[in-house]
Amino acid sequence: MNALVWSLWTATVLLDTGGQLAFKAAAGDPEAGDGLARWKHMLSRPWLWIGGACYVLEFLAWIAFLSLVPLGRGVLLGSINIVAIMLAGRWLFGEKLTPWRLAGMGLIGAGVAMVGAGA
Amino acid sequence: MKRFYLIGFALLMGFDTLAQLSFKHAGAGAFPPEASVEWLLRLLAQPWLYGALLGYIGAFFTWMSLLKHAPIGPAFAASHLEVVSVLALSAWLFGERLSSLQIAGAAAIVAGIVCLAMGEPDDAESGSERAAQLAVGAERKDAGEADGGAAH
Repeated sequence: MNALVWSLWTATVLLDTGGQLAFKAAAGDPEAGDGLARWKHMLSRPWLWIGGACYVLEFLAWIAFLSLVPLGRGVLLGSINIVAIMLAGRWLFGEKLTPWRLAGMGLIGAGVAMVGAGA
Repeated sequence: MKRFYLIGFALLMGFDTLAQLSFKHAGAGAFPPEASVEWLLRLLAQPWLYGALLGYIGAFFTWMSLLKHAPIGPAFAASHLEVVSVLALSAWLFGERLSSLQIAGAAAIVAGIVCLAMGEPDDAESGSERAAQLAVGAERKDAGEADGGAAH
């Protein structure tokens, strides 16, 4: 992989992780309330917009990345994001990494990697 | 809470799968791709394109509802169940061949989902877990989880 492919790959990991964390920050806000009021609250705060912006940028980086590497690599990337988001969730939101959860996330991460590698 | 997750993740998988299969159909209908207005019009005339759009919008709202309670780490991992359904459906609908590594990977993903479900405490247990944590003054717990325990 050359420098361009590496930077596009890094960009997709960072943007996906950042976007998901922003969405969690928006959706998990205890002050948001319910129903339509919840959406109004989320739309008036930066997190949902940051998450959306990450997704638009990731979409572009992703298309550029896939134009240079086969799709299997793309699926493989999904397994790295699982680990990145798991660690970020632990760090930022204090999510507990119980043995069941670690086993579950580990198996899913390995499974996604295998599906990608086997493509 | 388990019911909420069960329905939520099933819905998410449905919308994600609809989006991916629709993209494939829409792309095939507008084949071959070219950088022209004609191709764009051909693509926009594909009914499947709107299936993909519906799938994306549905998945977004489902995901935002799930994230209200679900911890992001395990939830993001569980959202990959779509990989299994898309794999199975592309073998069935498009006759794509699956490698043995892919089948083993799909099995590992399903096993992982089962582990996550096992690790999700029942409502009663969740309450006692919270009480135990408060008693020892444990570190702050994910707001979504505490919320879920309190709601039931």
